[in-house]
Amino acid sequence: MLLQQLVNGLTLGAVYTLIALSFSLVMGILGVLNLAIAELFMLGAYFGFTAILAQLPLPVALVAAMLGSALVAIVIQKIAYEPLRDAPIVTPMLSTLGFSIILQNVATNVWGSDPLQLTDEVLPGRLTLGSVSISTMQLLVMGATVALVAILAFVVQKTPAGRALRAVAENRDVARLLGVSAARVTLLAFVLSGVMAGAAGVLIGMHYAVITPYMGVDIGLKAIAVMVIGGTTRIWGALVAGPLIGIAEVMTVAYGGSQVRDFVVYGLMILILLLRPQGILGGSRSEQGQRV
Amino acid sequence: MTTTWNKKLGSAAFCAAIAGALFASAPSVAQSQEIVLGAIVPSSGPFAEWGRANTATLQMVEKQVNAAGGINGAKLRIVILDDAAKPAQATNNLRKLAGDDKVLAVAGPLTSSAAEVTFPVANEMKVVSTSQASSKPGVAKNNRPWAFRNTIDEGVLGRTTVPYFKKAFNVKTVAIIYDAKDATAATVGSKIMPALMKENDIKVLNENDPLSFNTGDLDVSAQITKLKSLNPDGVVVSADYSQGVTVIREMKRQGLIKPVVGSTQLISSAILKAAPEIAIVAPATFYATMKGEKAEKFVKELQPILRSTSGLPKDIEPSMYDANIYEIVSMYIDAIKKAGVTGKPESLEADRVKIRDYMAKLVGFPGLGGPIGFNDDGDAIKAFYIVQGQNGAWESKVRGCSTAPGHPGC
Repeated sequence: MLLQQLVNGLTLGAVYTLIALSFSLVMGILGVLNLAIAELFMLGAYFGFTAILAQLPLPVALVAAMLGSALVAIVIQKIAYEPLRDAPIVTPMLSTLGFSIILQNVATNVWGSDPLQLTDEVLPGRLTLGSVSISTMQLLVMGATVALVAILAFVVQKTPAGRALRAVAENRDVARLLGVSAARVTLLAFVLSGVMAGAAGVLIGMHYAVITPYMGVDIGLKAIAVMVIGGTTRIWGALVAGPLIGIAEVMTVAYGGSQVRDFVVYGLMILILLLRPQGILGGSRSEQGQRV
Repeated sequence: MTTTWNKKLGSAAFCAAIAGALFASAPSVAQSQEIVLGAIVPSSGPFAEWGRANTATLQMVEKQVNAAGGINGAKLRIVILDDAAKPAQATNNLRKLAGDDKVLAVAGPLTSSAAEVTFPVANEMKVVSTSQASSKPGVAKNNRPWAFRNTIDEGVLGRTTVPYFKKAFNVKTVAIIYDAKDATAATVGSKIMPALMKENDIKVLNENDPLSFNTGDLDVSAQITKLKSLNPDGVVVSADYSQGVTVIREMKRQGLIKPVVGSTQLISSAILKAAPEIAIVAPATFYATMKGEKAEKFVKELQPILRSTSGLPKDIEPSMYDANIYEIVSMYIDAIKKAGVTGKPESLEADRVKIRDYMAKLVGFPGLGGPIGFNDDGDAIKAFYIVQGQNGAWESKVRGCSTAPGHPGC
């Protein structure tokens, strides 16, 4: 059972990693917690399901979900963030919270509150190694997570757009003086977070084969914990913290008690905040202002 | 000319005044007023499907009653408020319905969590409130005399469900998993089912290590891996159907194809799609394919309305909770007709008492699945069915009654 629980934990951790990165991108660049990201994840799942139910292949569903969530992220940036950019930091956060509730309601009205289910597995097949069983979809979720994190790291570290993102994260005013368009970079951060959340939504939706308009709420909160534990200053932090939290969660259920699961996850987050507020891979304390 | 004109005007005014007085006193009081009932349903939030279907059901009743001439000649109006399955919102709704809208009685709220906090307010405001879905033990009993539930206590239902489950699948051992955040599911999973299993000599393999999850959890893989390692003959899933779908799909994904038993919360068409190969046993007081003239007529009338209602699935079927709320409003209408309810604003308090007393003494009301009455705890005395879902359909296996055999309520 231990090895099977490790596989469960790694899959769950992959989910947390992708959503935590979405949070981290906006938090890192703008210092704002975009609470509607959990709903971008949920919408990604619905876009993907809609595509799959329309008999489209998985890669098309993945692209549709990523594009759809990115488009909604742009709407959020234009309506819930941009007009409130100069307001106190809590104001845009509350605005995105309002947006998340609206998106839940939209999803309930469009797709209903009943769980939307797939009748068949999108990727059938299962790899059995002794007592451990891994589905093809689980392998895809884990593989896609590593690939997406690597692509995002490459974009942020090696491309002009990534340099602009890091420059704005470092110092928005100086970056503007150096000719970086802060508005464009802000939009890019929202789009990339939408793409990551959309990808997470479709992958997770296909894996569990059942989704609801409220699926983002709890997972979103856990992803925030992962972002804090991993540190918002390093992309790879989420890749470490996601599986760590995923494994801690399933091991608590398996060998501790399911009633104390959330105590362990959020307790770990509080511990990290107290002992190492910059996160596991967050660099030195002096780097706390620097993001991405 | 002016004088003549004034005389004519004066005569006309007099005639009009007399006629007005005559017309005002000629028709019955009822014809000049409307009968107002209230309802609390979750039209948004996690149980929006149930709430929206309940709303469509109530609108159908209102339309049918008014098309047939109303209640004693008075028009029926049902004020429907959404509580989003939130207890605080349900309480505010009841205060508004009883205080502002001056309703005679309230149908709802739906969940046990909402009923637990709304029923004390019903007592405070002295208005009958009857839940269409709450089945957690003791919720109406603790809030007498104004609280009622057109449902049966899960403990009573379990006494027939578990023996059937044991016999049908030769179950000697079970493992239990429940939703810790749902009031009814937590009570059924942690108290009622373990006790019933013991009564029926079924060993609970995780008796000292309860497995739970929280409402809204998408991942229950760790819990199911643990359940699978126990190798039970059957699995108790205590959760509402939307969470039940998540658990049963994960059982299928991990290859744990074992029969499932649960409470009325599992009854839905959605859960039958989760894993058609897994047999599900649960109690119900109504299901869409139920036989019988009243039930079949109800389904025939309501189903097309539900399927054409925006925000509801195109393949939706009337649920047990639609049937329950239909029966609740039908009972209120019967009370108004038979108990001398006037519907006058000045008689509101007396009218509410008459409805309460009618409900408390009710025996043999013709419900969709058989006669309905209420016991001293405020819970329904009615027939129920142990249904088994497999390969996409519910099939009735056992008929039971929530009171002793021979009682006129059944």
